[in-house]
Amino acid sequence: MTDTQWPRFEVFLQDRPETSHRNIGSVHAPDIEMAMMNARDVFVRRPSCISLWVVPVDAIYAKTVQEIEADPELFRDRLGDESSVDKYDIFRKSSQRRAMTFVIYTGQVEATSPELALQKAIEIFGDGTTYVWWVCPERIILRSQESDIPSMFAPAKDKEYRQPRDYKVVSAMQEVKREQPGKGGR
Amino acid sequence: MKETTDARIDEQLVQFTLSMADDELILAHRNSEWTGHAPILEEDIAFSNIAQDELGHASLWYDLCCNLSDDDPDRLVFFRTPDEYRNVLMVELPKSDWAFTIARQYLFDAYELVSLNNLVNSTYRPIAEVAGKIRTEEIYHYRHTSSWIKRLGLGTEESNMRTQKALNELWSFAGQLFIDSPSIQMLADSGVAPRSEILRQEWEEIVVPFLQDSGFLIPSAEPVDAIRGDHTGNLTSLLAEMQEVARTDPSAKW
Repeated sequence: MTDTQWPRFEVFLQDRPETSHRNIGSVHAPDIEMAMMNARDVFVRRPSCISLWVVPVDAIYAKTVQEIEADPELFRDRLGDESSVDKYDIFRKSSQRRAMTFVIYTGQVEATSPELALQKAIEIFGDGTTYVWWVCPERIILRSQESDIPSMFAPAKDKEYRQPRDYKVVSAMQEVKREQPGKGGR
Repeated sequence: MKETTDARIDEQLVQFTLSMADDELILAHRNSEWTGHAPILEEDIAFSNIAQDELGHASLWYDLCCNLSDDDPDRLVFFRTPDEYRNVLMVELPKSDWAFTIARQYLFDAYELVSLNNLVNSTYRPIAEVAGKIRTEEIYHYRHTSSWIKRLGLGTEESNMRTQKALNELWSFAGQLFIDSPSIQMLADSGVAPRSEILRQEWEEIVVPFLQDSGFLIPSAEPVDAIRGDHTGNLTSLLAEMQEVARTDPSAKW
């Protein structure tokens, strides 16, 4: 059977101006504009959000620290074409604790290839612990605009998120059972 | 919370807000039939969101209606008969295939957008406020459904063919959205609601060039010969399902 699944896109969400974009999952879509909308619908129905970025999975150059350590040739003799300097967005995962395992936007470097961008990123941002690096050309990332906020993100704030306990089903059932003596009431 | 003094206008306002509410409610129900059945998971979530949004919009219109008529939204939704419903025929048609569903949602979203763009300036302030609130979400709905229309139109031969067929079927039904009536004229005269011919014109300015750019032919069909309050058997079966639980025990508390 042929694979009819659409391409996958990684999604990065920023919930407050003072926090960085963090990877919250991925969506399938036929193209990057639809990926942006699917990202909104899958990830921004309830939580607060002020900005979304989407990136085709293929455009992300990803390396774990183990992969980097195991490959001494990784950065050797890689001379990029000097005429093709690109800006790269750098993301890294710096925690293994539960609920903290996001790949988070860290900053930007200029380089002539993803490998050299990673090498630079390690020099500039490699102080603390890092488990995974993601490198992606800036121009490939689709970013939501300031003008998208009212229609894409603001309406979620008016929507009350109801936990299951808000529906008084259990207490209502107990009441019904109490009103029917001898039918399994506790 | 009545702000108008003319009793005749008040009666038209009740009918107008009820029409807006019924359109949204019935369309929301039809859209919700896709939950668990949409082409892919992401779209299943997106389209269920849209269904919920439309239900939320219906609720705002019902509240407005009930403020004027001292009625109860739950009674209006669960205990009216089909002939008491005021929705247009377009929204009660069966969901059919995905192309039909997207074509209907697109044509309706475009109508809602031009309608709300006018209603935010309504001289009846509660309508202007509700329209402003709904419009932010409708801008997103339009973006979502127009993106689908473009991709279905410029996608494959089959996606184009199916969507064109849906547009041909829907065109005369869409015409019902713009049928004039003494009631609408009275509201338009007092600046409460836009004139039907203005709406039709603004709707065509959006829809016609967009559909052509998306590879479709514009159907030519006279508006369906129906006024609000006329219905097909489709509404009867829809309401039978939607109202079944509430009618099983009308005294139940929710």
